[in-house]
Amino acid sequence: MANKDKDLMESGAKVKLGTSDKVIRGFGYVFLTLYSVCCIMPFIIIVSTSFTSEAVIRAEGVQFLPKDITLTAYNMVTKSGGIWRSYLVTITLTLVGTLIGLSIISMTGYALQRKDFPFRNAISFFIYFTSLFQAGLAPYYLLMTQTYHLKDSYLAVLLPLLMSPWLIILMKNFVKAIPHEITESGKIDGAGDMRIFVSLILPMLKPALATIGLFLALGYWNEWYQSSLFLSSRVAVKPLQFTLYEIVNKTDMLKNSVAGQFINLADIPQESVKMANAVLATGPIILLYPFIQKYFISGITVGAVKG
Amino acid sequence: MKKKVLALLLSTTMIAGLVGCGGKSDAGTGTNDNAASNAPADNSSASSNASTDNASGTDASAIDTSEHVVITYMTTGETPTGTKERYDEMMTELNKILTEKCNAELQTYFISWTDYLSNYNLTLAQMDGTVDLVGTASDWLDAWPNSKNGAFLELTEDMLKTYAPQTWASVPAENWELCKYNGDIYLIPEDNYAQWTNHGFIYRLDWAKAAGLSDGVKSWEDLTTYFKYVKETYPDIIPWDSDGTQYAQMAGGWIASHSDYVPIDGINSAAMWGGTRDDLYTVYSPFVTDTDSLVEFAKMMKEWNDIGVWQTDVLNNTSSTNRDDYRVGKVAAEQHHTQTWTDLVSHTPANTIYADDPNAETGFFYFGQETGNVTALSITHGAMAVSAGSKNPERALMVYDLLRNDPECYKLFCYGLEGVSYEITDDGLRTTPASYNQDTDNINGTTNYWWGRNDDLEIKDASRDWDKIDALYSEYDKVKIEYPYGQFVADVDNIRSQISNINEINTNYMKQIAFGKYNGSAEDIVAEYQAALKAAGIDEVTAELQRQFDALYK
Amino acid sequence: MGKAKAQLPKRKSDLTFFQKVKRSRVLLLMCLPAVIFFLAFSYAPMPGIWVAFVKYNYRDGIFGSQFIGLDNFKFLATSGKLFSLTKNTILYNLAFIILGNFLAVFVAILLNEMRSKWFKKVSQTIMFLPYFISQVLVGILVFNLLNYDTGFVNGILTSLGMERWEPYSDPSVWPPILIIVYLWQQTGYNSVVYFAAIMGIDGEMMEAAKVDGANGFQRIRYIILPSLKPTIVILLLFALGGIVKGNFGLFYNIVGTNPMLFGTTDIIETYVYRATINDFNFSTASAVGLYQSLIGFIIVMTVNFIVKKIEPDYSLF
Repeated sequence: MANKDKDLMESGAKVKLGTSDKVIRGFGYVFLTLYSVCCIMPFIIIVSTSFTSEAVIRAEGVQFLPKDITLTAYNMVTKSGGIWRSYLVTITLTLVGTLIGLSIISMTGYALQRKDFPFRNAISFFIYFTSLFQAGLAPYYLLMTQTYHLKDSYLAVLLPLLMSPWLIILMKNFVKAIPHEITESGKIDGAGDMRIFVSLILPMLKPALATIGLFLALGYWNEWYQSSLFLSSRVAVKPLQFTLYEIVNKTDMLKNSVAGQFINLADIPQESVKMANAVLATGPIILLYPFIQKYFISGITVGAVKG
Repeated sequence: MKKKVLALLLSTTMIAGLVGCGGKSDAGTGTNDNAASNAPADNSSASSNASTDNASGTDASAIDTSEHVVITYMTTGETPTGTKERYDEMMTELNKILTEKCNAELQTYFISWTDYLSNYNLTLAQMDGTVDLVGTASDWLDAWPNSKNGAFLELTEDMLKTYAPQTWASVPAENWELCKYNGDIYLIPEDNYAQWTNHGFIYRLDWAKAAGLSDGVKSWEDLTTYFKYVKETYPDIIPWDSDGTQYAQMAGGWIASHSDYVPIDGINSAAMWGGTRDDLYTVYSPFVTDTDSLVEFAKMMKEWNDIGVWQTDVLNNTSSTNRDDYRVGKVAAEQHHTQTWTDLVSHTPANTIYADDPNAETGFFYFGQETGNVTALSITHGAMAVSAGSKNPERALMVYDLLRNDPECYKLFCYGLEGVSYEITDDGLRTTPASYNQDTDNINGTTNYWWGRNDDLEIKDASRDWDKIDALYSEYDKVKIEYPYGQFVADVDNIRSQISNINEINTNYMKQIAFGKYNGSAEDIVAEYQAALKAAGIDEVTAELQRQFDALYK
Repeated sequence: MGKAKAQLPKRKSDLTFFQKVKRSRVLLLMCLPAVIFFLAFSYAPMPGIWVAFVKYNYRDGIFGSQFIGLDNFKFLATSGKLFSLTKNTILYNLAFIILGNFLAVFVAILLNEMRSKWFKKVSQTIMFLPYFISQVLVGILVFNLLNYDTGFVNGILTSLGMERWEPYSDPSVWPPILIIVYLWQQTGYNSVVYFAAIMGIDGEMMEAAKVDGANGFQRIRYIILPSLKPTIVILLLFALGGIVKGNFGLFYNIVGTNPMLFGTTDIIETYVYRATINDFNFSTASAVGLYQSLIGFIIVMTVNFIVKKIEPDYSLF
């Protein structure tokens, strides 16, 4: 590596597109293409299997290309109609949660990296500490239900996912990359901290906001744990992933527990149904992703510093 | 100024959210809290009233039911989805009757199977009246630990007499004895419902006959013969497409078939401690003492593995659908309990083997058949308890009494609306109407009412083969003993850590033994297994259980 | 802190606590929602950790139940496997953290070098796909790929006339398989952080480097990697806190409860799961969690202390 580097430095430095760039780019195309193939193949299998009849799956295993396409699995998943309402709940939770979470995280992240903020270390530790010690299931559950009375409330899903120590520290780290002079120049212009944050810092944070917004959104989209704890059967419409998680997991849980010796499950989910569920759960957020990517592509810092 | 407004706006977003929801729910539960503090008082006055009442205590009109209440019943199982419409109709009908008779309505609180133990116990821990009636079981749900740890309400005789008079009268005194811990009744047993959940192998009787077993499979050795025959004759069929989770039942089954072992329920899932039929109260663990038998078991299972009874990667085969495969004739055996056999033996539409092949027959080899070692189910295999956090325990009992004994309520709750979800044939059997659609109209089995079924009100399913079923039941009745340890409530606090580790060791080794997936000789793996059990303190557990047995039975 | 002092007009150390609060009230206000959040959802339940030391009784609640000391920790301590389980858990996590971050940085840098916007977008989206596949399905896919009788790999091997491969009875192949599956699932997600960090690099610096004739490797070596360093360090430090907490979903769904593979694949979570599956007990689970937190805490404090000595800017707090 080092040798090659040197060689390239000597020979290709003056060419506009250096040999090293070509090498990197060529290697990059090959590597990323191969890696992408590895990532997409299982997904293709999942999609084809979801369109394959159960008989074929049992005879020949999961499928690369569906043989005689059937929609049975999808009909089964969507027959009760509940899944569309689940979509609505999940989308609402995701939008609201991401927006609130993002505004709090970015404010906190900015404040915590300000070197003239005397409490920044104390608060950072206060936040980080929670990632090390958790109270455990029972105390958390009892607090949420007995003290906050959040059982059967969507707030029990919305609130705990608003932020995490990890996302705040990550944001703090992103903000650090913005030159300190910007805050200083704002101060000289007589702007207050909030004004500096909103009108000077936020516009430069687009990649960070996109990243953390994406993580938050994924967190909400994939959420099933809080739902399984706090949304009982009294809540008619459950978030999407929770519904799917239940379908895919119940047989296994039951078989491995002592209840499995006694209880007969009426309907055991079939492979194709599991796969159809996965497709339905993934589809929308995959479509959303390229939209978010827009904020990763353009280097925003340059303009902002100059302006 | 502007900046301050903005800062305030942003930072209060979430405070507002928190305060908002806190305030709302405070208001909502304020009244409940009052009710909670009043509840014990009401409770004691009610029971003292009852005791001063006349002896029968069944005068329902004396009970104050002026306030309409909602009784929540907690059960494991999935919330109905496809059949939701029918389910709601049924509940509306049921609640009409319940409102009329005791001014209460019933709501079902389903604990879905995923993480059911955790969610079930967490809900109980809320203790705020979230649930009133709790379905429980001493062998597969934590009926006794929960009774001991304060989750369930002590049911006094007066309460039962007053609020559940029919149930009180129908359960014999000796059965109430079996529902007591420290002298208090905690559980209402499902003791008038014939069911057998002893395990065994369900197999193709016609194929067994072709394999030379003219009377069908009568022993584990016969099973070997059967599987060999199937594998040779029908190469496309996996004799038993197991998923590797049945190791405990197989080991337990082997021991039942080769000894007089009678296990104690509810100590661990593999039921590793018990007595023998002729010496019930001397505790031992056959998993430690019956070394030769276990070695033989390990050898036979290795042989089964070599025959190819199951797939090579059986221990990771999570997607097996063996039972459904049996229905359509793609496998040759299923390992489960008698109740499952009653389904598979019957010529129901789902069991297409019988339509496809007129010669097809299904047999059942139950574990313990060779030695006649069959123990009846404990009466607390299904039981109803009242949550200690219930705000309306009296009304909960009244509702239960109706669900269990009122023919109208019982049929609604167990079978749904007559003419929609079921109808009754001229022979008095239960069948489905012409317009019936299993996916949308079925109620039977969706309310998961396993805690108070009643043979006096049961309507037999017309699709079941009752001749065969009754024949087997009467065979059982000839050899069975009643579950002998009903009164024993193990106190495992001091041996919990040993039991946990023993559970893990059992999973670890017995899985390998029961599916013949071990390296080295059968003797070695059994020796290793037993050494691990001993190291984990199995003898301490046996000794502790013996001590508790002696205190109770001697 | 030292640097901060120098930049301020007045020496901060001279101010009283209340003066400090007053001066930084807007910044404090900005942190307030987060502080309230963690107070409400993380600190408020924390005293409940007491449940690990009691025999839980439903009526008495956590603080009214009988204190039984360390009895709830006994089962892990006496299992004889505590050490090997902890070791397995930590080693797997180390592999996940180190290889995971290495691959994520690698992928992020390569993506950044690509000039075709189309290729960038499409490949990034595709790499994100595995993240969405639930662990249960990953388990099913791995089984379909590797199983002995009908597995895809064995299908190829037999058609080539080779011996069948039997991974589900060979414990030695599972550490690499689990690591590969983990990397496959997480890299798309992890690389986003680094990609965003690269996007945040001062564009002028990059331009200047180009004008100065720096080639691709030099740009990566002297500009991109150094500017990713804080992110990498913070990510690592953060991951360390959870180093004793295993990824239950991954292990359980792929290895399941196949005892033949436990030797190399058993972590704390899977062991506890098997031992307590039919014996639900609030206290045992809390005790195990507390043990994991304590070890994680010690590790993080130590490492953070060292980092602070070497490069105070990179430390977590």
